[in-house]
Amino acid sequence: MSNESDDPDPNAEDARAERLVAYLDGEMDDESSRRIEAELASDAGLRQQLGALEQTWEALDELDRCEVDERFTQTTLEMVALAAEEDVERVVKESPRRSRRRWLLGGIGLAAAAVAGFTAALLLWPNPNRQLLKDLPVLEHFEHYRLIDDVDFLKELQQQELFPEKTDGQ
Amino acid sequence: MLEVREDNAGAFEELMLRYQNRLVTVIEHLVGDRDQAEDLAQEVFLRVYRSRKSYTPGAKFSTWLFTIANNAASNALRSRNRRREVSLAGRESGPLGASPLEAIVQASSGQMPARQLDKAEMRDIVHLALGSLGERQRLAVLLSKFEEMSYADIAEAMELSPQAIKSLLSRARVNLRDVLAPYLERGEMPSRASEE
Repeated sequence: MSNESDDPDPNAEDARAERLVAYLDGEMDDESSRRIEAELASDAGLRQQLGALEQTWEALDELDRCEVDERFTQTTLEMVALAAEEDVERVVKESPRRSRRRWLLGGIGLAAAAVAGFTAALLLWPNPNRQLLKDLPVLEHFEHYRLIDDVDFLKELQQQELFPEKTDGQ
Repeated sequence: MLEVREDNAGAFEELMLRYQNRLVTVIEHLVGDRDQAEDLAQEVFLRVYRSRKSYTPGAKFSTWLFTIANNAASNALRSRNRRREVSLAGRESGPLGASPLEAIVQASSGQMPARQLDKAEMRDIVHLALGSLGERQRLAVLLSKFEEMSYADIAEAMELSPQAIKSLLSRARVNLRDVLAPYLERGEMPSRASEE
């Protein structure tokens, strides 16, 4: 890396240019900077290359810097304000629809939960009235049944369908 | 930007006033047309506003802004190139028009060693030298020169690695040197456009 004319390797030239540019851009760590500064001190060709790169970089200062006028600022702000208005309108328009959908889904969920809960309670909770309902026909005719002492006789009467109502299991 | 994110309209205006000239400058040198640069800058500000909620606190605003600008300008250049391919099939042209360096050489009186480095001419030559770079090299140069962005920030804005930016900027500066050195050293008009 001493003299560029002794080094025709394009990759080596690219690497050297990269180092010089990184040095000019302040993108080198201290150790690398010290190393390239030592090379520059002893290599006139490298110094010349650095000078040319620096000179062309400074030439870019000649490029125009734009100054926009008030019309640009105003129209841009108007465009943004319009976009903001559209945003608000969309939110307002979508809000009741979203809300309705949310309530509907919530309602369906709630109803499903209620049905499931009721079914579970029905299956799991022992109903104290169930036995009373089952015995109701017997209780209704209890006065008649009491006149007959023999249960077998009662069963025989039932088989002959002499009772007006059927009783479950009786 | 955090206040813009929270829908503070005054903060957006302030941000725009701070960046509008810088943004239009970079885009104009990128697309080579002032009117288109202003249109694109407006589009960029509109995109900034629309995506304000996705801005990450702590991120550098200028890097975010130029990432959006890079995408907008790239899209514009791509569609312009497509249109040009259709209308001028077979003709080669750079981003600033057909063979800009050759055009200025033709317009001038050839080699002029004793010529004074007129400021306007110098500006035109530098402008055309920049235009002779590829799109990516040009953007990296503009962000480095005008925005004084670090390699890491340029890499983020251009969605490349810092190492890629290092190589890109190095090649760009060598290309600029090759085009400008004859003019700067001996007053010779550039004879060819460099390529990326």
